[in-house]
Amino acid sequence: METAAIQTHGLTRRFGALTAVEDVTLSVAPGQFFGFLGPNGAGKSTTIKMLTGLLEPSAGSIEILGQPFGAGALELKRQIGVVPEGMALMGRLTAPEYLRFVGRMYGLDKATTNQRTDELLEFMQLADESRKLVTDFSHGMQKKLAMAAAVIHGPKVLFLDEPFEGVDAIAAGMLKTMLQGMINRGATIFLTTHVLEIVERLCSHVAIISQGRLVANGSLEELRAGVASTLPGAEQGQRLTLEEIFLAIVGADVQQEPAQELTWLA
Amino acid sequence: MAGIVDAGGGMLGAQARVQYAALARLRWQMFTNGLRSNKGALELGARTVSFVFYAVGGLAFGVGAGAAAFLLASGEQWKYLPILFWAVFFAWQIIPVMLASFQEQFDLGILLRFPVRFGSYFLLYVVFGLVDVSTILGGLGCLGILVGITAARPELFAWTALGLALFAAFNILLVRAIFAWIDRWLAQRKTREILGAVFMVLILSLQLLNPALHRQRHEENSAPLGRNATKEQAQQKNQEYQRTKAEFKARYGPWLGTANEVQQWLPPGLAARALQQRVEQQAEPASGPGLGFESLAVLGLYVLGAGGALAARLRAEYRGESLGVAPSRKKAAASQSKAVQDKTARREGGGLLDGSGPIAAVMEKELRTLFRTLPLLYSVGAPLLLVLIFSGVFIRSGPRAHIFPLALPLCLVYAQLGFTRLFYNNLGAEGTGIQLYFLSPTPIRTVLLAKNLFHSVMFGLTILIAGTLAILRLGQPEGVVVAGTVAWLLFSLPSNLAAGNVFSLTMPYRVNPGRITRQGGSQANALGALLVQALVMGVGAAVFGLSWYLHKMWLAVPIFLALAVGAVIVWVRMLRNADAMANQRRDSLIATLMKTE
Repeated sequence: METAAIQTHGLTRRFGALTAVEDVTLSVAPGQFFGFLGPNGAGKSTTIKMLTGLLEPSAGSIEILGQPFGAGALELKRQIGVVPEGMALMGRLTAPEYLRFVGRMYGLDKATTNQRTDELLEFMQLADESRKLVTDFSHGMQKKLAMAAAVIHGPKVLFLDEPFEGVDAIAAGMLKTMLQGMINRGATIFLTTHVLEIVERLCSHVAIISQGRLVANGSLEELRAGVASTLPGAEQGQRLTLEEIFLAIVGADVQQEPAQELTWLA
Repeated sequence: MAGIVDAGGGMLGAQARVQYAALARLRWQMFTNGLRSNKGALELGARTVSFVFYAVGGLAFGVGAGAAAFLLASGEQWKYLPILFWAVFFAWQIIPVMLASFQEQFDLGILLRFPVRFGSYFLLYVVFGLVDVSTILGGLGCLGILVGITAARPELFAWTALGLALFAAFNILLVRAIFAWIDRWLAQRKTREILGAVFMVLILSLQLLNPALHRQRHEENSAPLGRNATKEQAQQKNQEYQRTKAEFKARYGPWLGTANEVQQWLPPGLAARALQQRVEQQAEPASGPGLGFESLAVLGLYVLGAGGALAARLRAEYRGESLGVAPSRKKAAASQSKAVQDKTARREGGGLLDGSGPIAAVMEKELRTLFRTLPLLYSVGAPLLLVLIFSGVFIRSGPRAHIFPLALPLCLVYAQLGFTRLFYNNLGAEGTGIQLYFLSPTPIRTVLLAKNLFHSVMFGLTILIAGTLAILRLGQPEGVVVAGTVAWLLFSLPSNLAAGNVFSLTMPYRVNPGRITRQGGSQANALGALLVQALVMGVGAAVFGLSWYLHKMWLAVPIFLALAVGAVIVWVRMLRNADAMANQRRDSLIATLMKTE
């Protein structure tokens, strides 16, 4: 049996009385483009933080590439790339300085770091801004830089928390091509985003979390089939969009009450 | 529209009053919500202790100013009154420099998304400034002067109160205006770099200028009288002193006279002169009732000027200029050639430190960050300027002139205080970059080690500059004092680094690298850091004191070296535990350093 790239068992995180993530068990196969979806506050970012070592789980276990993963698993961290929620940028450096810094922190030698820095800046169309401090970058440029930093060491597993937020259509297209190329070369990508169209286009497998619990997990076709069979009014053979699937799964979980009209709004 | 208060009425209108109340409530809620966590409770405790500390200091300052004012007024020594006003002025303007590392300030910029009038914004900015330590201290100084003069000359109460009110208003507005403008300049890369360069040049220039300016005293103090000096030697020294004094008077007398003329037209001088003129007018009613008013009128113009400078800055912020995002003034015409330059720079851009390992990477990054972060440069450099000022305390003149033997270590102790923020909150300027340390395969202990090494190098350089400055100003101390001081520094540095690492991981606070004012902060961190430093200094004082008492100054050296070995062991052990400590707190550490509100 093939070792999973990402495997969790009973992953749980509590903040005092609040359980943000509860008993999440999932498996992501190597080479999979995995979409992790959920409404706001469902526990997506908390899960990704635990998977990348930014947050200690209250219970449960994580394995990355078949090895137990925790904050101290330094060798394993060399195999992982992350675009976290806060982007992990350093505002007082320029983009090349930052990328070189990240490369060295991941143990790359100087020549490799410099070469990859140049290539990534060109690819991300940031080369002309190499004298500007990161703090002066637009949000979209910062996202592109964060993406470059996440891949500079050639990770086998890539975690992306809302990587397309604020990125223009041209850059988004470029990033999608880059990610697809990584998948073709055997990398595993774990993606969270609210843009369902991207997930539908890129991801082969999807998990949905709601109120801290995993409520769906499988290939898109499996989810489609599962939802179609339960959705009243869905016709036989109808191809549901991911948005319809998402709303059917999560919407069922959320209390549906007719919204009170806010008459004081214009 | 129903449910909306009247938007008219200016900065004291109904809407403004509702907003003030909402802001007061917000501050209260932030305070009470902060108490929900242990950290919040610790902060409250630290604030209470800090308040007591500042209150005692402020009262002492006020009482001192009052006593001085009383003595001057009752002795009719009005010509010396400007000195008192200048002292208050410097305390008012310099204390924010000293406390920039410790004070927490509320950023009122968050209010600009609401329909707040400019007048209200300005008023709030000034009102929030009233609770600054410097303003409280300066206010107590003014109050002391008022009480002192009134006790000596009750009939001058109203006039003194008026003059002091204008003087206080000027100081409040000036200190706020200065920092608001500095923040503005720091927001732009070009001006930030210019300011950084000017700051460094200023520090270096002072070093070079200082010996020239103080050669006379230096020469005088370079051969201090020993305990066994003979009467003839004392007489000779006295003659030398008188001659030097005469020469000094001849050379600098006219200059001092001009300086005195000039200071009379500056706010502290004007406030004092108004009072002096009033006294003269009372003594000679024939001189006219208007005497003193013109000084107050000019002082009033200064108040308007400071207010105008502050208003100009706040007006720009009010109109939507964001200091968080510095405007980029890229010229389109130059962009093509700049792009080529950028590429070249990028390809040539090897590291400053040519190592490829994480330690070199972190040290290089720290160096780049430090020179682009004026608040950090400022906190390191400001104590150097103050060493220059305060070292004058140790200069003795007159026939029994000698240098206080422990002046050098005391000057270096003060220079060390500038490193409080770097040592005790060494992750504070990372912002979102803190995540990278937890994501990368580099252990946190390596990051802290690299930071400690970098800070040690910076510390060594600063101490070297401060030491040179102190020696040039005060003369060369005895060799054994130098050796003892170096040994104490070897004990002090690892002690501070070890404690600083613990504080950085357990009580961090975010440093906004683009601002000096309106910074967040942690009173608990600041207080703890001061306590540890006081302990290290206390040990130093005790050992030096003991050695002095036993007439065996050399004894301090082996004692400090033994303590240094212990401190290094503690530092190494701390570093070994750094990863466990950081991982245990990574959640709150990341949340604290990344928060933007």
